[in-house]
Amino acid sequence: MVNRILFWLVLTGLVFANDQIPGPPQSVPILLRGGYLHTVSGPDLADFDILFIDGKITAIDRNLEAFPNYEIHDIRGRHVYPGLIAASTTLGLVEIAAVRATSDYAETGDLNPNIIANRAYNTDSESIPVTRSNGILLAHVTPQSGLIGGQSSLMMLDGWSWEDATLIESVGMHVFWPSIKYQKKNSDSKKKEDPVAEAEARIAEISKLLSDARAYQRALQAEKSGRRIKQQPRDLRLASLQPVIAGRQPLFIHARSAIQIEQAINWTRREGLKMVLVGGHDLYPVMDLLGKYEIPVIIESLQILPLHRHDHYDQVFSLPVALHQAGIRFAISGSASAFEAPHQRNLPFEAAQALPFGLPRDMALRSITLSAAEILGAEERIGSLEVGKDATLIVTDGDILEISTQVIKAWIQGRRVDLDNRHEQLYRKYREKYRQLGELSD
Amino acid sequence: MVIRRLQPLLLIVMLMVIRTGGAQTRPAEGIRSNPPTVWALTNARVHSEPGVQIDKATIIIRDGLIEAVGDNIGIPADAGIIDLSGKTVYAGFIDPWVPVEINAGDNQSILDHWQEKTWAHRQAAAAYDGSNQQYEKLRQLGFTTANLVGDKGIFRGYSGLVNLTEKGQVIDEEPAQIISLERGGWKSKTYPASLMGAIAFVRQTLLDCDWYHEAWKIYQKYPARNSQPQQDLSLAALSSSREAGLPFCFPAAEEQEVLRINRLADEFSLPLIIRGSGYEYRRIDEISQIDARWILPVNFPEAPDVTNPLLARQIPTERLKHWALAPGNIKRMVAKGNAVAVTTDGLGKSEDFHRNLVKLVNNGLDKTAALAALTTEPAAMLNQGERLGRIAPGYHANLTVVDGDYFSKNASVCEVWIGGRRHPIESSQSREFTGRWQMMIGSDSLGLQIDFRDGRYRITVTHDTLRLKGKEISVSENQLNWVMDTEPLALPGWTRYYATRYAGQLEGRAVTEAGQIMTWNAVRMTSPAQAESVPAEQPASPYFVTYPEGAYGFAQIPAVEPVVLVNDATIWTCGPLGIVEGWDALFVDGKLKEIAPAIAYPRGGALIIDGNGKHLTPGIVDCHSHTTCIGVNEGTHSNSAEVRVEDVIDADDIAIYRELAGGVTTINVLHGSANTIGGQNAVLKLRWGSNDQNLIFSAAPPGIKFALGENVKQSNWGDQFTTRYPQTRLGVEQYLTDAFTAAEDYAGEWRRYRRNSRLRKTSIPPRRDLELEALTEVLAGQRLVHCHAYRSDEMLAFMRIAEQFGFRLGTFQHTLEGYKIAERLREHGVGGSSFSDWWAYKFEVYDAIPHNVSLMHEIGASVSVNSDSDELARRLNTEAAKALKYGGMSEEEALKLITINAARQLGIERWVGSLEEGKDADFVIWDASPLSTAARAEQTWIEGRRYFSLEKDAILRQRDRQTRNRFIQQIIAARVKDAQQKGGHGE
Repeated sequence: MVNRILFWLVLTGLVFANDQIPGPPQSVPILLRGGYLHTVSGPDLADFDILFIDGKITAIDRNLEAFPNYEIHDIRGRHVYPGLIAASTTLGLVEIAAVRATSDYAETGDLNPNIIANRAYNTDSESIPVTRSNGILLAHVTPQSGLIGGQSSLMMLDGWSWEDATLIESVGMHVFWPSIKYQKKNSDSKKKEDPVAEAEARIAEISKLLSDARAYQRALQAEKSGRRIKQQPRDLRLASLQPVIAGRQPLFIHARSAIQIEQAINWTRREGLKMVLVGGHDLYPVMDLLGKYEIPVIIESLQILPLHRHDHYDQVFSLPVALHQAGIRFAISGSASAFEAPHQRNLPFEAAQALPFGLPRDMALRSITLSAAEILGAEERIGSLEVGKDATLIVTDGDILEISTQVIKAWIQGRRVDLDNRHEQLYRKYREKYRQLGELSD
Repeated sequence: MVIRRLQPLLLIVMLMVIRTGGAQTRPAEGIRSNPPTVWALTNARVHSEPGVQIDKATIIIRDGLIEAVGDNIGIPADAGIIDLSGKTVYAGFIDPWVPVEINAGDNQSILDHWQEKTWAHRQAAAAYDGSNQQYEKLRQLGFTTANLVGDKGIFRGYSGLVNLTEKGQVIDEEPAQIISLERGGWKSKTYPASLMGAIAFVRQTLLDCDWYHEAWKIYQKYPARNSQPQQDLSLAALSSSREAGLPFCFPAAEEQEVLRINRLADEFSLPLIIRGSGYEYRRIDEISQIDARWILPVNFPEAPDVTNPLLARQIPTERLKHWALAPGNIKRMVAKGNAVAVTTDGLGKSEDFHRNLVKLVNNGLDKTAALAALTTEPAAMLNQGERLGRIAPGYHANLTVVDGDYFSKNASVCEVWIGGRRHPIESSQSREFTGRWQMMIGSDSLGLQIDFRDGRYRITVTHDTLRLKGKEISVSENQLNWVMDTEPLALPGWTRYYATRYAGQLEGRAVTEAGQIMTWNAVRMTSPAQAESVPAEQPASPYFVTYPEGAYGFAQIPAVEPVVLVNDATIWTCGPLGIVEGWDALFVDGKLKEIAPAIAYPRGGALIIDGNGKHLTPGIVDCHSHTTCIGVNEGTHSNSAEVRVEDVIDADDIAIYRELAGGVTTINVLHGSANTIGGQNAVLKLRWGSNDQNLIFSAAPPGIKFALGENVKQSNWGDQFTTRYPQTRLGVEQYLTDAFTAAEDYAGEWRRYRRNSRLRKTSIPPRRDLELEALTEVLAGQRLVHCHAYRSDEMLAFMRIAEQFGFRLGTFQHTLEGYKIAERLREHGVGGSSFSDWWAYKFEVYDAIPHNVSLMHEIGASVSVNSDSDELARRLNTEAAKALKYGGMSEEEALKLITINAARQLGIERWVGSLEEGKDADFVIWDASPLSTAARAEQTWIEGRRYFSLEKDAILRQRDRQTRNRFIQQIIAARVKDAQQKGGHGE
């Protein structure tokens, strides 16, 4: 009945929320029997069972004992993967990028460290069911603006509200490194700005803010211990930076060109901060530094053009294998552009883009699961099939890195995920049209 | 005739502007000045024309003209005599491209052209102002004559050939027409905004001027049978320029633009002058075939700063090379037989002109050619070869007198003669002072060194081991002043020195701190010191360019492999054979000959590709691309049907190479979707290395881009774009109806005119309108409409319009709601070319679904998958694979989405799109199923030529790395040397 009403509502275009209903909390143990498990953390396990209770994986073994209250799914011939993680996106913060009213990912101003992504995450976005229907069950949602865009949140792609859907509220602080461009054309202009110095001047604004944040922290402490007479007025920006300056939270630095990356690495070292690189497309010349200082990388989309005309045609495609060989931790994400938020379902194909250029399949899979979880500080909860982790996983009919593969079932913390979505609904609707016209028989 | 009618008006304009004009008619003011006009210049070394040198020659000047020249000439009794011993005399130099400011705001009258940057009737000579310093700078360089050109506008009007006298002597106020492909840029609201718009506008305007001429001719003959044609100063001027056979001169920003301009000039048989860019060497063979005269700059690029290796990564290889190759451009152009003049335009500092010219000569440019480029060549291109550019009887008495050989570093221009009048050069450098002197003050002998470097004087006085520096130096023609702290010479405080020249000596005084005046004199110790700075010579680098220039360019275009046999491959024929495994394919002379289970071919007679484990597919056809298109939108007018993508193909676009690496061989390059009726598309084969015209798939039927929906109604352009019609889908529908109605009327008007012989004789012919002409071709079924559309309602509306006007649409591009009306698309017979799975980036694609392609196919509509992106085009194979996932299409049908289906939609299926006998040898070898994410294209062939292979790519990578490294080393060496020299001056 509910379904029929919803279907009618869709037909009349009266709903603004997506029609998929969040799954209820797991009430009975669920046993998936006889699947091919891609554990990611360990070897692949053929013909294994996996059991989850109260949202957690409790056992992985052959021939697990089943009790009468168990919900059992026979998945022989099927593949099980941990839920995929979209490691850099504005999903949920934008519905239609060209419609300004639907966009909530870019606050005005250069310095917005106090912005927190999950506050405007719209669980009823149509893009969310579309995304998870291809196995992406988690998204690292990132505000994007100015120099400091704000704090990102790790979201589960199901839930009644952003409060339900939040896995980690504040994953990290996002810095968008200023671009550093060599003068484009031969010009006769006498005035030559040094692009490196220009970028440094911009970054000095962040340094100043950090230095203020350190002083602010001392002022507050002094106030607390009664060693300060005058009250230090509260400052949201400076308060929000405390986990960063304390080294508890990483800075996610978004940078693409080698010179930006080098500048960012040196800057974070001087400031004593933890860094994650996001973007990274031109990192080859500074790869040694990434290794030396153990800076992980989120390659933000493999499906972009090389930065320079003279770059190799596969310069970006080959980046993951180079990082793999250098032993640098990396995740692969889709593009974080707001226009690409609805396209996050292609995440496994972003990772697969590195396959023809030598990245081993298991590493491609790891780059969108466990490596992403590690970089986001969520490896205790998600990213692999291990006892004790969240039962956030998918069942497919084939290799998740191949386009023809279908995702059949999915659970987030043991809650069954509705894999239907706007596209499937419209598809069914118009198949019905052609049935009515006698064009289709099935 | 209108031209005659307008002339009085033109004269009035001229008289108003040229207040300094009327040298012979102006009444005298005050006491008359009548200097003598007969002169004999004697004892000079005279280059009477390039290649002819007469030592100890005499030149006789009478009344502004050369009367005689030679080494055995009697001096007329009435001549003043000037001894030019030790000097070299050339015909006065002519700069053929001297920009003068045009006031664009003056283009408002009802006689002006509608386009706001068109003023073909204006005369640049009117802007001459002899007091402007720029002309003094030209004279200092030895120029006596300049061809003035307007500094802005599209049809900039007449250039003006002027002798650079104080008042200006106009030699020809209408020697050439200047046309520039100037455009407003993508933000501009006024037409043309794009290069293709500018070219189309020039084309239409040249047609218009011919029509204008004809219209007035007929009208004047049959005034009672015709309504009076419009009057337009620009069209009148262009038409009379064409009648008079004037040269048309275009600036060309880079070498490919030269080819574009030449084609345009060819359409109208315009005598062509090109103001080049210095990049001509990049396609010199093609460029040298052009029948044009050349004006080339001598502005060599500064060595790029490569110090920061990470920043230098961003410098394209061709820019590194340009630094080294640009100084050889003129030499190569001359060597290829091109008629070349040089201009001072484009130089930051005019002084660089001489230095760079000397550099050219030192790098091997023949001095005779260099002199021709300054004299006879510019004279000839402006049709003044009989009056200017030589020292010969009857020529203008324009002379350049040089101390030394002009083409050597130390030369300096002493004076110029213009129209028989002498103009001394007040150079900032007085060579009379520089050098080493022996200075005598009383009985003391001191050394005096006077240098002039980088525009500054430096004075050093030496006494035994003492070295004192002169400060506050000032120099005039005859006097020199400086101060010096003379404490070390036992003269406390500042001593002030001044000196004047007399009889080759310096006669000076010095005033001490105490006010005591001492006299001194100085004699030269040796000839003037060679103190000038030596510019950093760029090390000779081997001359090589690639096609295109820069990374991944070919040294040579790949040759056709006569016979290619692919053995034992999985062949995706995309034809009736379907997919066959372990078969052979034979390609002969660029065509597919045979596909069979086993083909025997004599060993050694064929290039064999081992297809074991490989997949062979047709080359991918991308039905929607903007690769190579410069300035994709002419989005100013809602209808820009006259613009043509083929006019603006960038053959150097690296995207071509990258797409080859993704297995793409044919692309449909479309105008953008900024307006309802966009522009004419071009179908290309990705023949990397070819020039723009050789990329064109010449057999492809012509087409045109249309667009519907949010883009054309400017929904997402911002609040300032709310007035261009149409702003709704309702308006779009009516706009289209109106355009096709106008096209029908236009075709009818021409039909009537052609049929009726009396009409042809006595009435003004219809005006050719390229915009409507393109639409009449659509109506006649001769031009395919490729229409950007998303929503089903707008597609239905356009199909109905087409059906009413009796034509069939070619494709809907994107068609993201095609799945909603697939049966109507099928019925109309329009193709749908779709994204695989894009959606929700704007409101009109909120209902886009990835099942679109397979559902349309299931209902029987024609469907292909396209990229609309240089990036996505590299992986169309996996885009097609999405049809497997969404809607369950078969593998065989999925690959057809990017091959034969796209080819059919473009009307090119006879040649490409499938592997069938007789079709072009356009194919790709993959290392896995092309629908797998693991697949990589290993080889890509077009017409039997291998344009891409992994092996070849590896070789090019290595070559390019070496090239970059070598040029970076050269650049560093040159910069270091240059810095040392500059640093040395500062001491």
